[in-house]
Amino acid sequence: MAAGVGTAAPKGHIGRAMKRKEDPRLIQGLGRYVEDIALPGMVYAGIVRSPHAHAKIRSIDTSKAQTAPGVVAVLTGEDIRGAIAPVPCAIQMPDLKMALRPVLATDRVRCVGEGVAVVVGSDKYAVRDALDLIEVDYAPLPAVVDPEKAISKGASVIHSQHKDNVAYKWELEGGDLKKAFAQADKVIRQRMINQRLIPVPMETRGVVAEYRAGEKKLTVWSATQIPHLLRTQLAAMLGAPEHSVQVIAPEVGGGFGSKLNVYAEEALVAHLAMRLAKPVKWIESRRENFQATIHGRDQIVDAEVAVKNDGTLLGLRCRVIADLGAYFQLLTPLVPTLTGLMIAGCYKIPAVRVEITGVFTNKMATDAYRGAGRPEATYIIERVLDLVAAELKKDPAEVRRKNFPKPKEFPYAAPTGLVYDSADYQTSLDTALKLANYPKLRQEQDRLRKKGRYMGIGLSTYVEVCGMGPSSAMPAGGWESGTVRVEPTGKVTVLTGSSPHGQGQETTFAQIAAEMLGLDPEDVNVLHGDTTAVPYGIGTFGSRATAVGGTAMYLSLVKVRDKLSQMAGHILAEDPKKMVFEGGKVYSKSAPKKSLDFAAVVGAAYTAKTLPAGMEPGVEATTFFEPSNFVFPFGAHICVVEVDAETGDVRLQKYVAVDDCGNVINPLLVDGQIHGGIVQSVGQAMFEEAVYDEQGQLITGELMDYAIPRAADLPRIQTARTVTPSPVNPMGVKGVGEAGTIGSTPAIVNAVVDALAPFGVRHVDMPVKRERIWRLIRQAREGR
Amino acid sequence: MIPAPFQYHTPKTVEEALRLLERHGDEAKLLAGGHSLLPLMKLRLAAPRYVIDIGRLKTLGGIREVRGKIAIGALTTHAEIEASDLVRRHCPLLAETAGEIGDAQVRNRGTVGGSLAHADPAADYPAAILALDAEIVAASKSGHRTIPAAEFFVDMLTTKLRPGEILTEVRVAPMSAKTGTAYMKLPQPASGFALVGVAVRLAISRAGKVDDVRVGITGVGLKAYRATAVENALRGNPAEDKMFAEAASFAAQGIEPLSDLHASAAYRKEMAAVFTRRALHRALGRARGKAD
Amino acid sequence: MKLAGVRTLPGAPSEVWALLNDPARLARCLPGCERLEPAGQDRYRAKVKFGLAAITGNYAGEVELAEKKPPKSLRLRVEGKGTPGFMKAEGRIELAEIRPGTEVKYEGEAQVGGLIASVGQRMIEAAAKKIIEQFFESAERELKAGKAKR
Repeated sequence: MAAGVGTAAPKGHIGRAMKRKEDPRLIQGLGRYVEDIALPGMVYAGIVRSPHAHAKIRSIDTSKAQTAPGVVAVLTGEDIRGAIAPVPCAIQMPDLKMALRPVLATDRVRCVGEGVAVVVGSDKYAVRDALDLIEVDYAPLPAVVDPEKAISKGASVIHSQHKDNVAYKWELEGGDLKKAFAQADKVIRQRMINQRLIPVPMETRGVVAEYRAGEKKLTVWSATQIPHLLRTQLAAMLGAPEHSVQVIAPEVGGGFGSKLNVYAEEALVAHLAMRLAKPVKWIESRRENFQATIHGRDQIVDAEVAVKNDGTLLGLRCRVIADLGAYFQLLTPLVPTLTGLMIAGCYKIPAVRVEITGVFTNKMATDAYRGAGRPEATYIIERVLDLVAAELKKDPAEVRRKNFPKPKEFPYAAPTGLVYDSADYQTSLDTALKLANYPKLRQEQDRLRKKGRYMGIGLSTYVEVCGMGPSSAMPAGGWESGTVRVEPTGKVTVLTGSSPHGQGQETTFAQIAAEMLGLDPEDVNVLHGDTTAVPYGIGTFGSRATAVGGTAMYLSLVKVRDKLSQMAGHILAEDPKKMVFEGGKVYSKSAPKKSLDFAAVVGAAYTAKTLPAGMEPGVEATTFFEPSNFVFPFGAHICVVEVDAETGDVRLQKYVAVDDCGNVINPLLVDGQIHGGIVQSVGQAMFEEAVYDEQGQLITGELMDYAIPRAADLPRIQTARTVTPSPVNPMGVKGVGEAGTIGSTPAIVNAVVDALAPFGVRHVDMPVKRERIWRLIRQAREGR
Repeated sequence: MIPAPFQYHTPKTVEEALRLLERHGDEAKLLAGGHSLLPLMKLRLAAPRYVIDIGRLKTLGGIREVRGKIAIGALTTHAEIEASDLVRRHCPLLAETAGEIGDAQVRNRGTVGGSLAHADPAADYPAAILALDAEIVAASKSGHRTIPAAEFFVDMLTTKLRPGEILTEVRVAPMSAKTGTAYMKLPQPASGFALVGVAVRLAISRAGKVDDVRVGITGVGLKAYRATAVENALRGNPAEDKMFAEAASFAAQGIEPLSDLHASAAYRKEMAAVFTRRALHRALGRARGKAD
Repeated sequence: MKLAGVRTLPGAPSEVWALLNDPARLARCLPGCERLEPAGQDRYRAKVKFGLAAITGNYAGEVELAEKKPPKSLRLRVEGKGTPGFMKAEGRIELAEIRPGTEVKYEGEAQVGGLIASVGQRMIEAAAKKIIEQFFESAERELKAGKAKR
């Protein structure tokens, strides 16, 4: 464990529940989002989008729009043919059938919302009016919507260069599955659906681009999670030299994975700025966001588990059909494979097999959405555990406990090939059971059942893989950069390749830096998001900012502190190894009264009147940190619900979450991530579903029909922590951004199924809408 | 989310508003709180050439007592109705219903006149207006007329208001003693509109029988309606849960319930009965809670 | 969405049949239809201005009659597209004599796409029912007027 980082009660800044430095400006409306950017001469873009899920474009008549007031330009796919490459997909797989989305469609559209033309005008009102004047003659084609039908005989093929709608087949196998099923006392099967979701960040997407012809410099402001990767991809798509392209992620109002991508509009707006020699702005409407920003999840799973009568898991086999949509976005084919990698959850299952078929349909692409494949895995395995408990008439907590690996077995090689870093699932479960007063809950459940009331208790013990990740496993690198620069007057500037969009690294990284250098977090500024200012970084997603980005910064802090120790030792004639940085001062442990101001030590390195032999002037260090492994946060959640048998209404009564993200930098922010993740899970479990009808129309097209949770839907969430440091990085941190979302959904569904057990219900698909529950109860009562 | 171009007028009097309405006919729409019209305009589902903003006409606001009835100006917001002492005391059903509409922001801007004139099949007020036998006052160039609630809702999004008429006031008789009311609703989880909304006004006799009852139901059919089959099954019978359950089973009689993404016809039909029963039960509790 | 129902219209099946096959009279029955212009054998182009209270839209459409078995049955296809979206309805209409009127049985499917499909789900079925209602009311008026003329 590194010095200055520990699990004891915080004396310093690490571990301190400090309010965020970001919040005052955000709460006062002083944040600068892409919509706030106004440049002289700026024009606005609006996109004409296909109302058809699948159609040939017979003709596009832009004549009326061209002459409408305020219109500067109207372009179709033909007008940009050859000028912009298709939207990139970073994934390579053997036999992967590629399907890249053109920036604007030319002869065919393959999903509702696909762009077919762009209007540029002097203000957004002129643009909106002109959009209505564009006449597109479509010849509708049959829409392929059901993924199982899409891969059955006779289905229309969406991409004519492929023979069918199968994008890929992927398999993972570990152990001897045949033997496992042969030895089983029972085999339990269940079909489950992990429904398609819409990420709904508060801020929709938006892009502003400016091309300065004199300097041949293109600047693109985009609400993105990956500014550097975006820069590289945009340069490639536009055929522009990368060093002349700058991407800036301004304040970004949430992404949840939906802004971890490269979108057609980003390239289109950049192209327009160059072509028209004017700055161009495009801001997405909510309806466009629903149609044309990536969707999450969407898997149909057939799971089979082999067990012994004593509850020991022997083997698990899953067949997954993943509905990928019509075109790949950046990581589309990868996401379901992460489900395969985490299918064993936190259990010792000797044999596993996962078969995934990725399928093309006439829908928007799926891609990474908070959890990206791992919520799907946790949902499967945690539902399976409850099905096993129900079948064997055992307590769901005990069946879980029976199959946990022990803490001393870590690092633990899971049958899926991953090596989990560290864990203590037993303590996590015990803590949750105690906090929830589990035996009392079961008593209460019995009491209420006798009164004809249906209370349910649901458990989820989860582990997830994050801190993305070793570069060997990542499509564009998995390292992160961190620069620590101490300015001559002793203030610190941190440049991080991480790209926070709500996570709070301006605060937590400042806490770490302040702790390491004996300063106050106010003395540390954390810069991110500007590709010109910040060395190349991979970005923020996959719960990696602290584990990877924070470690890169930490290692640079160590370099800087070592250098300043040398400097102080030189000035004080003391041993550099004994230097202490505290309260803005530097002193030797053996002569504490002879202290120097931190700023003075730094200043000396800049004025360079007398430097130690071999030392360069200045105080700056950069590290590119390559993680040796992923990190594996874990936890135990318990959810209590009550179901109104008359209406099917589900009320959340109690929620206990015990999560372990290793060492904690700021408990307020960790709690915030857990709360937010749980709320997002409540959304999936209880309310949300992106619905395409049989014609491929997205009928949940606005927030009027797509229900996301509100504060009133939640009980007070009780959180607690266990701390099991990770051996993967010096600070011992795991990740926490997605853990809440991953662990929580099955706890809620398990609780609902548990509530309905008296009706003989063994599974409920998500979302557990009232009518769905009502029908199940009716069917049970009618003996069906 | 940008409306089609329109001309905007702010008449200073109701008469001026009526003149503008007459001049522009079906190319004009009145704007009150804007929470029914503006969303439609922003989606460009509605594109009136002329928008006549009556939102600042002070004569159309206010809640007062007029000849023994509670008179509520058309521009009164849902929040004002919910908070009004006069309404809470004399027709609490209306205050309770107003409090169930949308969310705080919508309640601060939306008006009772605008909501009633729009007649959304899933709006909350219509159920209460029917249960209260309210009267709707409309002004036109030829003067004022009063439309009873029972006649007001004609069809989906269609009321008895004629082109060129402005809804100016809603009048409700104060609730008598031994009467209890309740509005209960099953909201659509995303929009908050009523999948089923039931408003009940229940008067009980000293002997504990149902003297009179009104049941207004919204969200179930193309328009809000009086569940007269329920009312007939209750009138004169003992006011008790078993009776309520039986009578409530007629809640959707004669109605073809709507079916959509959020609720099937079968579910709406059953929930109409469940919420009718629950509203009756709650209204009874409140009726009994009043001392003689 | 599925559309099906039975209605009775005044007049013999032959009169109802005549109405359906007369573009001028059929136009008056289709809600909001301003005109039906011939565009081929049993095919017509239509301009429709349709509204439900504040929600109005202009649509360019097509009406086609097919599989005609006079005076018993035919298939009717109506398509329209406008800024609020597009729709397509296709169904079978069967006429049977029940003196002194005609029983009209209709069964078909309607699809809606574009803006109304993405934001108007809760009203679509209701609107479809209304449109069918209005069609039959207008047809009844047309048939009575036709009788009065004779």
